[in-house]
Amino acid sequence: MLQFFVDVILRTVDLALIAVALSCVYSLIRFPNIALVQYATAGALIALGLQTLGLPLYLAIVLSCVITGLMAVVLSVLIFEKLLDTSPPLAMVGSLAVSMIFTAVFLVTVGPRPKRFDLEIMAPVRWAGVSITPMQLVSVGLTMGAILLFALLLFRTGLGRSMRATSTNRVLAEATGIPTRKVINGVIVLSGILAALGGISISLKGEMGAQLGFDLLLPIFAAAILGGLGNALGAALGAFTIALAETFVTNVNFGWVVSQDFYFLPASFATIVSFGLLVLILLFRPHGLLVSEVKRV
Amino acid sequence: MFDFLIHVSIMASLYAVLALSLNLQLGIAGLVNFGQILLFGAGAYGAAFAFSNQLGLAAGIGAGLALAVCVGLLFARLGRGLGGDYWGIATLAVAEACRMLLQTGGDLTGGAQGISGLPPLFEAGSRQDAALMTLGVCLAFLAAVYWLCRSLTHSRYGLSLKILREEPQLAVSLGYNPNALRTQVLVLSSMIAAVGGVIFAHYISFVGPDQIVAAETFLIWAMVIVGGVGNHFGVILGAVLMQFLFAFVPFAKDLLDMPSDYVAAMRLALVGGGLLIFLLWRPQGLVRERIGGGHRGG
Amino acid sequence: MKRGMLLAATVSLAAMASAALAEPLKIGAVLSLSGPSATAGEDQRRGIELAVEEINAAGGVLSEPVQLIIEDSGGRVPSALDAAKKLVTVDDVPVVLGEYSSGITIPMGTYVVQEGRIHLNMGSSSGKVRDIGENSFSVIGLDRVSSGYAAQDLYDLGYRKIAVITPNNAFGQGVAQEFNQAFGGLGGEVVSSVLYTEGQTSYRRELQQMDRTQPDAYFYSAYGKEAATINREAFELGLNQTQWYAGYMSMCTSDSQPEYIEGQIGYDLNFIGDNGQAYEAAYQERYGEPFVTSFSGYAYDAAKMIMKAAEHAGSTDPEALRTALTEIGGTGFEGATGTILFDESRQRSKQPYLKQKIVDGKAQAR
Repeated sequence: MLQFFVDVILRTVDLALIAVALSCVYSLIRFPNIALVQYATAGALIALGLQTLGLPLYLAIVLSCVITGLMAVVLSVLIFEKLLDTSPPLAMVGSLAVSMIFTAVFLVTVGPRPKRFDLEIMAPVRWAGVSITPMQLVSVGLTMGAILLFALLLFRTGLGRSMRATSTNRVLAEATGIPTRKVINGVIVLSGILAALGGISISLKGEMGAQLGFDLLLPIFAAAILGGLGNALGAALGAFTIALAETFVTNVNFGWVVSQDFYFLPASFATIVSFGLLVLILLFRPHGLLVSEVKRV
Repeated sequence: MFDFLIHVSIMASLYAVLALSLNLQLGIAGLVNFGQILLFGAGAYGAAFAFSNQLGLAAGIGAGLALAVCVGLLFARLGRGLGGDYWGIATLAVAEACRMLLQTGGDLTGGAQGISGLPPLFEAGSRQDAALMTLGVCLAFLAAVYWLCRSLTHSRYGLSLKILREEPQLAVSLGYNPNALRTQVLVLSSMIAAVGGVIFAHYISFVGPDQIVAAETFLIWAMVIVGGVGNHFGVILGAVLMQFLFAFVPFAKDLLDMPSDYVAAMRLALVGGGLLIFLLWRPQGLVRERIGGGHRGG
Repeated sequence: MKRGMLLAATVSLAAMASAALAEPLKIGAVLSLSGPSATAGEDQRRGIELAVEEINAAGGVLSEPVQLIIEDSGGRVPSALDAAKKLVTVDDVPVVLGEYSSGITIPMGTYVVQEGRIHLNMGSSSGKVRDIGENSFSVIGLDRVSSGYAAQDLYDLGYRKIAVITPNNAFGQGVAQEFNQAFGGLGGEVVSSVLYTEGQTSYRRELQQMDRTQPDAYFYSAYGKEAATINREAFELGLNQTQWYAGYMSMCTSDSQPEYIEGQIGYDLNFIGDNGQAYEAAYQERYGEPFVTSFSGYAYDAAKMIMKAAEHAGSTDPEALRTALTEIGGTGFEGATGTILFDESRQRSKQPYLKQKIVDGKAQAR
């Protein structure tokens, strides 16, 4: 039972940060930026590159987050804002295009083989039938810390207040003297950092590769939409829900149904069920679990 | 070379049909469908199911249409309460979930190995004659779809769809039922895509889940955007252009003496870059949409 | 029919004429150099290139250097078909090698065979490859051969309850199905069979599901990032306390840390013979690392075999090549992966495998 819980948490950690980043950008500029999943891959690969150059890992991570954050704002100013002026759905297609170019760049620079950080292999800790590695603990800590800091920033600082004000009503926020331009760019840098951290936290406990981001695309969108796109902390809850559904499907023994000792659903059902859950929720609560108002047509 | 050109032309006209179907949804009704390839897959699998049950082409078309209409109706139902971007993601999720189901489907769907051995559309004559006849069918079907789309756009019905796309509230106030309109468009474009899928399945004689991955949808999107959203002729042009570019990437590699592992990156950069360049600098595409319903010419 | 024979006769006449002019042998290959199977595809390319370089260094085939044209399939059927059609109709190659995943090999091979060219399968082990057609040959033992071998080996080692994990694609489904049948037929039991979804960040849950059925041993066949993840997580969860058995050892373990795979047993292609060792050394020398997957060996053999067939036939005409291949494969071709013998449907019927064990991070014979 405890192991079940650990699995759910580990999976949540895989999805949460990038989903929060996605939701957070959506709250300010209303389009779901597909390229965010590639920022995660880029973050991990840049950190790996910096580590290979000889930087200590923590420094490589910090630097990689900064680089990815800046990259996010540059891409946003150069590409996405222009597209948003024409049409938000097309901005999403634009972010898809940017993602494809990212994959092309990864393929040429890194190649198709999996990569990992240069880390000492440590024996897993075993306790009460649960085994967990130190790096998994680091990854969980990193993710929870980042989300906590983000929540504090959002609810306890002036910047957070400006962010929330801008996302609720940009025109009004501007009228009250909030520098919305700066706030938006700040949030985009932040989303880049969060996404990069998400990618790094996945790679810390395992492998990374050119396809890392694209493979995560749908589960992350499912998490963000479940939590209500635009509700940043809701996305973390969405990630938890997806993780719970997936783990349930893969771990529950349906042997009693077919009167055998063991019967598990095919592993691919984990993904099918989480997408199915997304579709169901969209049918009955079109704007996610946590967003109640319907603002748009 | 001639045979190769026939092949690329067949593929180009099939993709043009898919692009027209997407254009009907996106360009005319403003629906952002990221699950387009599933509609095509419904047709292809319909043909394959008919084949594996020893039924003929007519049954294949029937099964393909029926499956595609089901998917179209599901998409439409999802679209009722959703904003455009949510709906896009939802269609992508449905398409991917269905692909995985097909891949896990065991004997019924052939699993990951798919269903192979579908007979070609034409058995008679030499292979080149058969290929030419297939090309003829594809072109005729493309022409029919083009004509259908064009007359639809120029009709009052098309005008109401455009109003729905640009000013949904106005459309409602004018007495149009947006849900009904969207459902009709989706069902129609599903059927178009499905027939394309049936032809494709018989042409390459094999149907499998690898054929309906999300990347294929993105390719169709690139065709529509490059060609010009809302303009049927432009979309055909975009599809033909993208398909030929794709097919000739290997030749570029031979000419430039590039390592063959860059071909993949080049394909991705072509789709992604093409999309991006047109979105940024020529959002109207190669051929601009004609505004207005009754205006004829060209 | 008569017309076909007449055509064949004309074609072989033309071939003789062209042989007299010593037309160079052109080998086409469609490989998955990008997309989900890129690791294997890239390795296949290495094998083919090594074979062609060796032969060309020794003077080529029919006293002309061999031309090799490699195309990328991107792991998608339409692109693979584009590539095959380019090879056949534009480059006019008599033989096309490839692909890797059965879902692509079958339609691509079918097309090549329809065009009257030779198709050499060197990467797909699905049983359906058998039905591609008269001109299609496999230098790789199909699932029944390899999985049957694994089942027998595990049974002989005394294991009776096996948990199986393979990817949910054409390769993995084939391996799992054939293994289940073979092991069940021997009297053993497959207690759990997981087909994992590719591209996940973790397979912990799948592994624990298998753990609960308390198997004597795990049988797995995986590649790329997924293989690395599975090996790491089996180690992290302590599942490596139970015996792990790898189908194609080098493929399963090439991307994993040595600590994770210590003690695994399994089988791999047999590179022990003279040819095999020479090939292994040449590969190491040229690419500076040990085999990445097992598939480069098949690719190497496929290229070597078709070149030998062309030399044997004294022609590059597909019909002549087919006859030569049938002859060579009928008596046995000594390849890097062992002796290649074709059965009546032109598939490799038997294959020597090598029993291996990982000791101190390296695969050793056991």
